[in-house]
Amino acid sequence: MAPIAVGDVVPEGTISFFDENDQLQSASVHTLAAGKKVILFGVPGAFTPTCSMQHVPGFIEKAEELKSKGVDEIICFSVNDPFVMKAWGKTYPENKHVKFVADGSGEYTQLLGLELDLKDKGLGVRSRRFALLLDNLKVTVANVESGGEFTVSSADDILKAL
Amino acid sequence: MEIFMVDFLAKYKKSSLDPTSNDVKTVTVSSLTAGKKTILFAVPGAFTPTCSQKHVPGFVSKAAELRSKGVDVIACVSVNDAFVMEAWRKDLGINDEVMLLSDGNGEFTGKLGVELDLRDKPVGLGVRSRRYAILAEDGVVKVLNLEEGGAFTNSSAEDMLKAL
Repeated sequence: MAPIAVGDVVPEGTISFFDENDQLQSASVHTLAAGKKVILFGVPGAFTPTCSMQHVPGFIEKAEELKSKGVDEIICFSVNDPFVMKAWGKTYPENKHVKFVADGSGEYTQLLGLELDLKDKGLGVRSRRFALLLDNLKVTVANVESGGEFTVSSADDILKAL
Repeated sequence: MEIFMVDFLAKYKKSSLDPTSNDVKTVTVSSLTAGKKTILFAVPGAFTPTCSQKHVPGFVSKAAELRSKGVDVIACVSVNDAFVMEAWRKDLGINDEVMLLSDGNGEFTGKLGVELDLRDKPVGLGVRSRRYAILAEDGVVKVLNLEEGGAFTNSSAEDMLKAL
């Protein structure tokens, strides 16, 4: 699949997460994002250094500011299972707005065309690092990194785009 | 049954005081088993309930007793990456009682023939490892307690103690 781009409608697919009552939910991306302004940012792996120490904290810190500019949801996405995403989310007790969701099978990442082959590092096939801004399912900003970089997909980059 | 005929690289993240340390180490299964008495047990998933609340803690609390009976190495393997295994180790408060090893690509699990296909579950766990506990002496499997599905009936630390 070609990588997702500005102007595309975000693909329909399923992701999973543990809700506030600790119940496992499977949700459709379209249901989560329809009619809303949503930031969907992806990381190669839960608990990995750049993801944990820079990418996620950036969105947690800027969450209020992003919401004041009309963003309804900020969703962090990775090819990890929902148990791992839940445990990772818990390491950020200060987090109020960022939702941690799981693309455990990597299927949604394929639909986005954003696979990153990390098999030689024992990580399997993961997602590239990216940040998308969706407006009622339409992609208005698509900042996708090459390889392991962190240059265009931060919270600040999305703030500039709003 | 000799299972460790082919060297396979299991990864683990060397814990360090520096949280930014990227120190992923690779260890061969034969280095863990050659000339040693080794317990190797597997779980379907880091941070999942039975694995976190019963299986691993059981081995941590019985580690000293197992070592007093001649066990040299106690290692837990799961089809999760090394970063997740290290985070799990810290979450469970484990020091060096039990090694937590990553079979990130599931290759070792495949070589043993103990895959657990969880792809049909909407949870998205993919192909993992069945729960098992192995006692190996100098690389030769002496005890193999392999569970079905999600069961936890014969692969605990207590079961291994009885077998020693």
